[in-house]
Amino acid sequence: MDLKGSRTIAADRMTVWRALNDAEILKAAIPGCKEMTGNADDGFEATVTQKIGPVKATFKGVVTLSDVIEGESYRISGEGKGGPAGYARGGANVRLDETDGVTTLSYEVDAKVGGKLASLGARLIDGVAKKLADQFFENFQNAVAPRSDDEAPDDDDTGREPEKKKGLIKKMFS
Amino acid sequence: MYDFEFVKPSTVADAVAALADEDAMALGGGQTLIPTMKQRLASPSKLVSLAGIADLQGVTTGGGSVSVGGATTHATVAAEAGAYPALAALAGDIGDPAVRNRGTIGGSVANNDPSADYPAAALASGATIRTDRREIAADDFFQGMFETALEDGEIITAVDFPIPEAANYQKFKQPASRFALVGVMVAKYPDGVRVAVTGASENGVFRWKEAETALTKDFRTDALMDLDINPLNMISDLHGTGEYRAHLVKVLTKRAVATC
Repeated sequence: MDLKGSRTIAADRMTVWRALNDAEILKAAIPGCKEMTGNADDGFEATVTQKIGPVKATFKGVVTLSDVIEGESYRISGEGKGGPAGYARGGANVRLDETDGVTTLSYEVDAKVGGKLASLGARLIDGVAKKLADQFFENFQNAVAPRSDDEAPDDDDTGREPEKKKGLIKKMFS
Repeated sequence: MYDFEFVKPSTVADAVAALADEDAMALGGGQTLIPTMKQRLASPSKLVSLAGIADLQGVTTGGGSVSVGGATTHATVAAEAGAYPALAALAGDIGDPAVRNRGTIGGSVANNDPSADYPAAALASGATIRTDRREIAADDFFQGMFETALEDGEIITAVDFPIPEAANYQKFKQPASRFALVGVMVAKYPDGVRVAVTGASENGVFRWKEAETALTKDFRTDALMDLDINPLNMISDLHGTGEYRAHLVKVLTKRAVATC
């Protein structure tokens, strides 16, 4: 599955870029991330716990940054094994554009799962991946430049109706 | 499977206390949780069965509504919710006999599987979900695929369904699992018509507001003629594309209205 979207962040491009390379901010942004160590050059090690309905799986894996163009774009990808649950792999190509001190972050996400997760959860995976990607960029945006509550998110096709989006965001940050 | 603790309390208070452990999970009929555990996709340290709590059992009718105890099986609802025939019919068509005789309304509603039947009934009926600590309107309860307003360790004690003037549930079954590929519940109340759709959206059960407005004005299938639903957020899988599901939503809504 693939999805695209963009967000505007009220900060200059280098601020956003530094945040994209900061282990603490990435840890706060990755949904369910319990632990994250390492640095941008050598890659990060992460432990992520996800609970979707009855399924609860903990993934241990690595997060790497590649195709880095300083201050402009990179690819962030993660790969983890969830024990008996299977494996998950996902990444995003992220690009930054700045106009008048406001940075537009555009992303293209791709995700794959395998093992039991894939065989049992096929009908759910796209929805879950969209939700997690949405949460990641939402968390990231808030970590860098928190918005006021009533401003609507501006991502265009993350697959949620505006009304429901609001509910989820409220829940996450209340 | 693997080792876990099993408790079967006889009161709601004991069950809530037993669920205080971080990795404890409530067990309704186990029609989702047990297969998940067998696959080792979940590994709770403790299961708290709600099957032994008398207060959570049974269907009561009165005051214009049908109240279903949280641990009541689908088969019991099918047999005893005669005052709300569309609800009884929906319960009688969930899964297979094994699922209907083990699975519970509380388990189904709390899990909020995006293809489950009961969430459509609860949302279309404007039901109230009662828990050990509060009452939650169905409109606030369902918050997206597998997401509900429930807190950790909160137990559904009952679901109250106001009885409509007319209602019907139409389900296009995925024939292997008998989950709804798409399911539409239409319920007509004195203050308006409610339409809830399950199985279709990646965000779980939702109300089709445009259809509600049209049907509240004119409760005939013709009222839906010019309406279409956006396939963008619909589930696409090997059983059907988002466009196919969007199409089915309209077809099933019409059938439900025609059958009311």
